[in-house]
Amino acid sequence: MVINPTYLAQTSRSSTNWQAARRRVLKSYRAWLRAVRPSALSPSSIKWPTRMLIVFPLGGTQAPEIQQMYSLNMPVSRIRTKVRSEFEKHRYVNQLDVVDVLLFQSHSEFQETLNYWKQLAHVMKYFTAEENPRARLPKDFISGFLEGRN
Amino acid sequence: MSLFRPRSSLKLYKAATSFPTAVAPATSRCISQITSWWSKPGSESDFADRIQSTEDKSSLVSQESTPDPFATHQPDYSARIDHGTSTFSPVPKRVMDGSEPEENVAAAVLSGAPVDLQARQVRIYRPAKTATQSGTWHSHHWRMDWDILQKGHRWENPLMGWQSTGDSLQGTHLNFKTKEDAILFAQKQGYEYFVQEPNERRIVPKAYANNFLHEPKPLKHIKTK
Repeated sequence: MVINPTYLAQTSRSSTNWQAARRRVLKSYRAWLRAVRPSALSPSSIKWPTRMLIVFPLGGTQAPEIQQMYSLNMPVSRIRTKVRSEFEKHRYVNQLDVVDVLLFQSHSEFQETLNYWKQLAHVMKYFTAEENPRARLPKDFISGFLEGRN
Repeated sequence: MSLFRPRSSLKLYKAATSFPTAVAPATSRCISQITSWWSKPGSESDFADRIQSTEDKSSLVSQESTPDPFATHQPDYSARIDHGTSTFSPVPKRVMDGSEPEENVAAAVLSGAPVDLQARQVRIYRPAKTATQSGTWHSHHWRMDWDILQKGHRWENPLMGWQSTGDSLQGTHLNFKTKEDAILFAQKQGYEYFVQEPNERRIVPKAYANNFLHEPKPLKHIKTK
């Protein structure tokens, strides 16, 4: 019996060199930006090899819309900022294997989000720093001490 | 959910090595020395050079051999926050971001584990032999244990009096076959770790005949009557 792969499934692959990794990252980033489109949030953990230039796609809206799917109350720009910040988090990774795994994780997040396998809670995990007032670190030693933190 | 998000993370920070000294008592813990990322523990001669003894020669103070650009011993209050950060979270010194030298796999970046784990200190040790028994089987492996949190460690549940905790790793430990395995794991995950060397049992060989050996000087202790 033939097993049909799910929507957005992708075979495992690895990057042969940094240029190939860069292309894959750009492709992943573009896919995220296009999927975000008017609406909420797009959690993305796309990774960004070192010394990469950022190329923004010009327009182009695709079918799946993350914001409408998850009914997020935030503008598209905020989601795209979050996508970008998740990419920037891994900008300085200097191991190609790690970049490959990050690309895999990015794509798996992409698939899970667009297939509506996630729920609002999973999507909002990326926004805890802004939404949850208790998810923060103290700004210096004294305020941490007065709060009684570890 | 993705299947590729194991629970590892963080950056290793301190490497503790043991330097047996003649003045140290047999039951003392070994002195930890902070070394940099890529410097290997030096030989005994390097150790002698780095020692700065105090005036009364009673303690040993050693310096870092090479200044490590990644080593900051101050908490980083601007470290990134993830969904596991809470009011109990300690402040990390450095969060692994993959830009470290390539000796270690940057597993902390990939694991998806909370960033809090990179803030907590980890102890690598060999569990002591049970004092009430002679068997040593359970003290052959190496164990990794997390230091307790000051604040969310344990409190009494107001309803039933049970012990509640805000520490997800309370009572958790990992076992390794060798010390090097444990150290590599801590380095890979970006934990701040220190190694506690075990107290090896010192068995003194004794012979009954030594009680009757001749000594030219007056005996300090008369063993036979």
